[in-house]
Amino acid sequence: MNSETSRDSHANDQQQISQTLEEALAAHHDDESVVDVDEPTQQLVLFRINGQRFALPGSAVSEILPSDQPVYYVPGLPASTEGVLHLRGKIESVINLQPLLDLPTLEGTPSGMILLVSASGIRSGVRIEQLDDVCEIAQSLLQPPPETLSSTLLPYVSALWQIDERQALALLDPEALFSAYQQGLG
Amino acid sequence: MPLEREHHEQAQVALVLFWVGPYRAALEACHVLAMTARPTALLTANAHSLLYEGGDHHPPPSRWLTLRDTQTASDHAASTWQLGVYGDLTLQHLPASTLYPLPKLLQSRRFSPALCGFTFEQQQLVLLLDAGKLSLHKP
Repeated sequence: MNSETSRDSHANDQQQISQTLEEALAAHHDDESVVDVDEPTQQLVLFRINGQRFALPGSAVSEILPSDQPVYYVPGLPASTEGVLHLRGKIESVINLQPLLDLPTLEGTPSGMILLVSASGIRSGVRIEQLDDVCEIAQSLLQPPPETLSSTLLPYVSALWQIDERQALALLDPEALFSAYQQGLG
Repeated sequence: MPLEREHHEQAQVALVLFWVGPYRAALEACHVLAMTARPTALLTANAHSLLYEGGDHHPPPSRWLTLRDTQTASDHAASTWQLGVYGDLTLQHLPASTLYPLPKLLQSRRFSPALCGFTFEQQQLVLLLDAGKLSLHKP
């Protein structure tokens, strides 16, 4: 191996390294969704009711129960109360949010999972249609609910997450939901 | 194990279980003064109509439980009334640890303030009723 060949090879290596670094840096710049580790984040449980996307704070959801969890009907309660469930030696209520959120109540046997939600010293199961995800997002992505939000939803939405140009998700306030239910709404 | 908790787990509560339509319900046995096949008291009420809306249209009860009228007891110490119920009545001593209070969220939404909790009998839900709040007058 002569010295000229060795220099060329070294130059090529340097070019390759430099290019790889550029790619890595460029790739880093493109990835806007990476969360800054110093930025406050919030865990969300994402779900759907009647096809509409909602979320609850992860801190308020203590458990996600399977759809086949037995729920016992209790007479003398409003239609928004599905019944009660027996979980590890405790009885928990199970409610539907459709009436509160002004969504039509679907006919037939409920088939979605149940979120066990705690707020204001109250715990209750909340029937959902479909669980989408449990994720952590930067708090800066949560925007105050716009004034254009429907007046029926507004009291129960603490923030809006604009996922992309076409999709937004309402972060529900469990305290507001339970308070309204107790006051006879829904 | 703390003494109080140990006592709760060993304690039993005597309950009279009966049917209210398709639902199983129970009253604490100490509140049931008597049981008759026909109403004998001046004041009577069908359990259906006291427990849920739309419970007025049902066949006549098959049993009548005599209860102390707590609404007027201070004025008439011996005042009683009768609650019309259905089906087989059973007296059961159930462990206190298997009697569960009504979840907090439901307390303000129940039709009857007498609904105070639940238990299970062969995997069927049993509505626990507070005899003292089982009012003759609809809420």
